[in-house]
Amino acid sequence: MAKAFYFDMTSCIGCKACQIACKDKLEVEMSPGVFYRKVSSFETGAYPMPGRFNYSASCNHCENPACVAVCPTGAMYKAEDGTVQHDDSICDGCKMSAMACPYKVPQYVASINKVHKCDACRDLTAKGKNPACVDACVMRCLDFGEKEDLIAKYGPDLVSDLAILPSSEITSPNVLIKAKENALEGEPKEMLV
Amino acid sequence: MSKYLEKVVNSQFSRRDFLKGSAVATAAVAGLSLMGSRSSSIAKAEEEVSTAHDPVVDLEAQGEWKTAACWNNCGGRCLNKALVVDGVVVRQKTDDTHEDTPDYLQQRACPRGRVRRMEVYAPDRLKTPMKRKHWQPGGQEINGELRGLDEWEPISWDEAFQIVASEVKRISETYGPRSMFATSAGEAGKIMNAVGGYIQADGTLSWGSWYEGPDYFGMEDGFGEYSTNDRLDLRNCELIVMFGANPAWSSAGNPTYNFLQAKKAGAKFICIDPIYSTTASVMDAQWIPIHPGTDHALLLALAYVMLEHDEEMGLVDWDFLNRCTVGFDAEHMPVIEGVEIDPKENLKDYILGTYDGVPKTPEWASEITGVDPAVIEELGIKLGKDNKVALLTGWAPARTHNSDSMPQMFMALGAMGGHMGLSGHMTGVSCHYGASNGGKNLVGSGSAGTSSTKGIFSNTVREVMSQSEMWDAILKGWYTNGPGEENRKEIDIKLIYHGGTNAHMQTMPGTNEAIEAMRKVEFVVTQTTFFNTDAKYSDVVLPVNSMWEREEGYMGGGNREILVNAPKIIEPLFDSKSDRQVATGILEAMGISEKDTYGISAKASWFNKYFGAWTYDEDGATRVPICTITQEDIDKYSDLAEELIAAGKKIEPQEGKIPFAKFLEDGVYTVERKEGDNFGSIAYQAFREDPEANKLRTESGKLEIYCRRLKAAVDGYGYTTINAYPTYNPCLDGYEQMKAEGKFEFQVINPHYLRRSHTILDNVKVMREAYPNPVLINASDAAAKGIAEGDTVLLTSDYGKTLRKACVTETIMPGVIGVLHGTWADIDPETGIDRAGSDNILTGNKCTGQRICAWNTTLANMEKYDGPELPADVDMNDRMVVFE
Repeated sequence: MAKAFYFDMTSCIGCKACQIACKDKLEVEMSPGVFYRKVSSFETGAYPMPGRFNYSASCNHCENPACVAVCPTGAMYKAEDGTVQHDDSICDGCKMSAMACPYKVPQYVASINKVHKCDACRDLTAKGKNPACVDACVMRCLDFGEKEDLIAKYGPDLVSDLAILPSSEITSPNVLIKAKENALEGEPKEMLV
Repeated sequence: MSKYLEKVVNSQFSRRDFLKGSAVATAAVAGLSLMGSRSSSIAKAEEEVSTAHDPVVDLEAQGEWKTAACWNNCGGRCLNKALVVDGVVVRQKTDDTHEDTPDYLQQRACPRGRVRRMEVYAPDRLKTPMKRKHWQPGGQEINGELRGLDEWEPISWDEAFQIVASEVKRISETYGPRSMFATSAGEAGKIMNAVGGYIQADGTLSWGSWYEGPDYFGMEDGFGEYSTNDRLDLRNCELIVMFGANPAWSSAGNPTYNFLQAKKAGAKFICIDPIYSTTASVMDAQWIPIHPGTDHALLLALAYVMLEHDEEMGLVDWDFLNRCTVGFDAEHMPVIEGVEIDPKENLKDYILGTYDGVPKTPEWASEITGVDPAVIEELGIKLGKDNKVALLTGWAPARTHNSDSMPQMFMALGAMGGHMGLSGHMTGVSCHYGASNGGKNLVGSGSAGTSSTKGIFSNTVREVMSQSEMWDAILKGWYTNGPGEENRKEIDIKLIYHGGTNAHMQTMPGTNEAIEAMRKVEFVVTQTTFFNTDAKYSDVVLPVNSMWEREEGYMGGGNREILVNAPKIIEPLFDSKSDRQVATGILEAMGISEKDTYGISAKASWFNKYFGAWTYDEDGATRVPICTITQEDIDKYSDLAEELIAAGKKIEPQEGKIPFAKFLEDGVYTVERKEGDNFGSIAYQAFREDPEANKLRTESGKLEIYCRRLKAAVDGYGYTTINAYPTYNPCLDGYEQMKAEGKFEFQVINPHYLRRSHTILDNVKVMREAYPNPVLINASDAAAKGIAEGDTVLLTSDYGKTLRKACVTETIMPGVIGVLHGTWADIDPETGIDRAGSDNILTGNKCTGQRICAWNTTLANMEKYDGPELPADVDMNDRMVVFE
């Protein structure tokens, strides 16, 4: 059983509504620099034939999560539903999970001396709703659910590897990306806009 | 955990400074104790906020989701919901009132809507009325040169009302109403009108030359009325050509998703723009980069290509031109008031160069536009009448000087291809409220029902200055009121009232001149929510609150399919008042009652709107009320009903589409669209079928490629003149001037940016964190200037200097710099250099044509800054007033 996020890069305009909705819901706006979902923009090629793409990154709720492997207290754990969850009550803020994740997903929140990350809005999913980021997307390019269902819904041409991401062989991330061709290889340059 | 508001404040600003800043003390304590009075439940809510990771805790169960207004001039109008826990908004969401499909859309909010609560609770909100320390009422102690530099002292609302009322009266009585000026008066207009009125200002604002021309030559301006078809018909297009339009940034919300449906249905996209935008990227568009301000030349060359290949390929829709337009060729010139127009003044012969010897060939246009002649040739052929083409433009390409004839040429090109009046064919403005979706409005708000009961508010000063001459006019003592020096009007402005929400010192051209103008007069007053540029250079600042805090609530639409209804959801924060309450307080100090001013209470005005809110029945033609209102509903608000009935309003039960309670709960009425319904729209359909029976509002009743009224209107302003047919006018501060003079190396354009709506929201930390607001520079230009990614760059124009960090990119045309519209000028008093990258530090007060406010080409130079590196915006201090 695996839960996954789906991301349609071909439709994403990089508006960051998902990122803002996440910050709003989880109150992490109080911690500058902390994101549980973060959108980045990239460009490829050269004038007058440049390319662009955007990537909305969050926890990939991996099959082999590096964060869980290194967490000394067991605060970071793989839940029954397949998501990777975090138990605040036993986290001592050692940051090892933050350092271990190749995607840099877990974030140290200094104000509470704990590591936090995306919990796939399990309070909402428990009520049968979508995570906040999914329902925030104005381009309807995010989804969340059973991995097999998402593959059935969005087709087989989905990837988990991009030129900007670490190899999926490390942690087997549960992220399904409908990628733009220019995001698959080469050296995309991040656009700080 | 500390109280919610304190938490917000402490996180973004030190508590010591906050209390100091709000010593104010009274105000801050008032604000905090307001929260404190509900401390136990708030603390509980906060505890749950802090443990939101625990699925057992359900914050939603503690509060209520309410519709929360999102009110700015962004071009969208989406649905915001706020989770209110004991009077405090702790979370937001967007439309989930129905299942979402591409036809029947949820009105999903953009990031600007999603951060509304972070703005409402922002630590830098103005908390108390205040007065500049070295300014005193009475006209004796002004020290105008200290505006923007002086210290501030808190004053009570009573003092503030007395000061403003007495200054308005004193200045009007001493110097006459012509000495008072407001470019964005809002409710404050009533205050000045109570003593005779004031001089106003107008200009082409965001529209550029789409502001005034379309009425004369036969199109709509794209604001509330549209010449484009509706969004479902967009899917019938084969080719969508977008000029200067990036809805992903400037019409956030659903419009780009609507364009995506057209792409999925098979439409190809071409984007003509100095920037390869994220919209162009998502639509897989062909990008045609173009020198800013030269689109008219490209349009002429496309028309040339169509004429050149017409015989072999049948590109021109002669039937449409001959039946539905005047002035295209010598055989179809208008006869105006019995006078025949010189047949040489036709567009076709101008395109062919028959009389001026200059055929407007792709090669001719290429020199001006930078577009390859082969690309122009290829595109011109695609625009032929047998292809289903949408020619869509944002206002941006006409938001340049001397652009008065460009919209008319846009219309003419569309008419040549016959891309009007048919499914899949369209020509017109597609931005702001109308981005991706044209047609008549399908909903409307009811009236607020407020009006003066005494008729005491009339502006006897019927004078309007140009918004791109006004600051300069105040400084030089006259403004242009028609051609020639004999039409100059002398002025001596003594009072400036910033009463609206538009912050015109930072949204209109020439911020540096605006600052000097403020420093010249006797009294400047601003009512606003934050310490923006208008407030900073004032003498008295009055803190107004948000739409969330107002009894009158908000009801309004945006795109044609939705009406948002957002009542008050929280109590006013700090010592803030609504604009209406501020106007009432000042007018009462002048001896005029609230009843005389507004007729009815704010709450009654909220209730009144429900009775008039309207939509169309399924037939798409019969107007019906949105709300079913029963006698029971009316009885529930019997005090308001009685007040409205006493004021002569019709308050009776009515039959509508949805119950009153549902409209309250949903907070939105959305017209349910589906293919084949009666809510679609094909612009010009009846006109095309029978132009004689369905005349346009133009002088001839047809589309006017020769337009006498357009020329008369533009020439009449006294700045620059045009021809009645759309000949190309190189623009002031444009590409040709840059090449000819050699003084400047770059053209500056001002794209709208997701961080803010114009200037609103630019203070919100989460937005500053998400969007760094760099200056966009082409990689080859950066290399030539030794500028690397992230370097601090100094931009210099004829009007000012500004700093920004560089975003070095291949996605902007060489020779063009992107200075993103809408930051709040932040001038270093030591160097005189703006640190905010403010677009209007680089623009100035020059005026052309129809009182054009020009932005999308300013000439500037660029260098790597040799001073201290600019910090990231998110790391800059909040702009808060600290009282000594």
